[in-house]
Amino acid sequence: MTSAQEWGAQVRDRLIDSGVEPGEARRLADEFLAEAEDAEQDPAGLYGPAVPYATAVARTIRTTATRIAPLDRVRGQVVLRLSQVTKRYRRRSVLRGVDLTLRAGEVAAVVGANGSGKSTLLNICAGVIRATSGTVERTPRVGYAPQQHGVSPLLTATEHFDLFGAVQGMDRRRSQSIGNQLSRHLGWAPRPDVIAGHLSGGTQQKLNVVLSELSRPDLILLDEPYQGFDQDSYVDFWEQVFTWSEAGAGVLVVTHLLHDVERVDHVLELPKAEES
Amino acid sequence: MTVLTITVTSLRELSRRRIALLFVLVLPLVFYLVRIDVQWQAIRFLALGVGWAIATLALFSHVGARRLDQRLAVVGASPTALFFGRQLALVATGMPVAGAYLLLVAITQDVPRLAAVGLLLVTTVLIAAPLGAVVSLVVPRELEGALALLSVMALQLLVDPDDTAAKLLPLWSTRELSAYAIEAVSSDYLQRSLLHFGLVLAVCVLIGWLTSIIRLAPAKLPAPQVEADTTSTR
Amino acid sequence: MRQQWLHGFLDLSLLSLLAERRDYGVGLTERLSAVGLGEVPGGTLYPSLLRLETQGLVRAVREPSASGPPRKYYELTAPGRAAQVERSQAWGHFRAAVDAVIVSAHGAVMEGTS
Repeated sequence: MTSAQEWGAQVRDRLIDSGVEPGEARRLADEFLAEAEDAEQDPAGLYGPAVPYATAVARTIRTTATRIAPLDRVRGQVVLRLSQVTKRYRRRSVLRGVDLTLRAGEVAAVVGANGSGKSTLLNICAGVIRATSGTVERTPRVGYAPQQHGVSPLLTATEHFDLFGAVQGMDRRRSQSIGNQLSRHLGWAPRPDVIAGHLSGGTQQKLNVVLSELSRPDLILLDEPYQGFDQDSYVDFWEQVFTWSEAGAGVLVVTHLLHDVERVDHVLELPKAEES
Repeated sequence: MTVLTITVTSLRELSRRRIALLFVLVLPLVFYLVRIDVQWQAIRFLALGVGWAIATLALFSHVGARRLDQRLAVVGASPTALFFGRQLALVATGMPVAGAYLLLVAITQDVPRLAAVGLLLVTTVLIAAPLGAVVSLVVPRELEGALALLSVMALQLLVDPDDTAAKLLPLWSTRELSAYAIEAVSSDYLQRSLLHFGLVLAVCVLIGWLTSIIRLAPAKLPAPQVEADTTSTR
Repeated sequence: MRQQWLHGFLDLSLLSLLAERRDYGVGLTERLSAVGLGEVPGGTLYPSLLRLETQGLVRAVREPSASGPPRKYYELTAPGRAAQVERSQAWGHFRAAVDAVIVSAHGAVMEGTS
């Protein structure tokens, strides 16, 4: 293989890994090689190194691709309501009188320093922890992405889609197709032969995020799921959050970084826990 | 149907832990060979080896799946399906092991009641799976759980089976069944061991199942009440 | 700093160059350099062109050139023309605002009142 062909193969492979459909990836790689030939230049000289170039191209395609079809949902219907939610562990008050009303189509960000109870609040919304006092009302159709360990290291992404789809009443073909589509929106093409434990940290988290949206729930709970994301993936993640809310879901994101604060509908700031 | 999905998933996960599976397959052999000189001891130790290996597999399988199970429970999987699905997978993994060793015994030994040996190995697998699960649910950390299981197995090996206290140990029935398999003893032995087995199985499964429900079932959160006037905010 | 500024306005610059006349990749690079925007590497230029193409503002046509190998020419579509006008107006407003701030600061410095 000549160095030009090798460059082309690297570009094609990187495009596929970034979620571009294989036929399109091959077509694009061939086009770039043809262009370079016409300009009588080495492709690496004309476009730069293969992998960064392919990553930039994949992003370009992705961000101008069609969005998910919006679901028919009653706009404005309340999907989560917290009234005076309190959580105490023995002497420590982790949450004190938290109020929040989240409607379908809205995004809420829960911010606060470490130890301010953000994950605890999310787990209360998920039903994993019970509040000490106060009421939690929540739609039954919920998606949940914990910060860590939400994924099985021994299963492939495809097997995860199967499992989560089956548990939520989706048939296999649908869960596969939606799972792959959501992954492409985050710039990733799941490979059927790679178990989650062998994925990079950032990619595991992409799987984590995709699984929370798989069944198109009314409320999505995300606990800082962008650990290990590079800058582009972080931006893509927030784009996805707003896309989901525009499609009619309510999204609650626990975060200590606030991107695009004007677009977020509610910002809930939690003070640090105190001893009583 | 969720039970089947969980079983298939658990089998996939188990099949990828090759070293663990090798251990499960080989440990009983070691136990068997160590006592090969005394026939009923060899068979009893073989069964205990199978039991310990499957129980350890069950312990680590349940502990390793705790966070994932919790996540699945949040999105609607029933804790019952999660518990029994995984148990089914573990039993399905143990049965071929039991079968292989039954064959080994049939080839290497002259046993009057070979069917009893088969019964022995099968009942051991059936107890070991929920036993490992119970230990994992009561002691949720891998190291402590493995040590707890080790203690139970050590007691099983060391305590004189005639001692009344021995009947409290889960695999007491192995001794009775191995005796029944080898010697021309009365079917009393068979009845006693099956009774003990049934009791232990019921207790382990019940504790495991109830603990799963307690640990995994998400809080019942009511749906938000519809407001009097729903004005859209967008 | 210049790199970051250019990144924001590369799309508009390309649309404007193409509004003037259609061109191929290397030609656009040369024109950007001639006007003082420096050497824009292919790794930056072509993804921008691809983005404009995917957005429907630019169309790529492959045709044989009079002398030499066939080339891929880029030209504006009708929506592309509209976008170019709209964005250059927006740029005009933005530039005027930044200029105003700079001029006022400059004036203050000269008078010694800052």
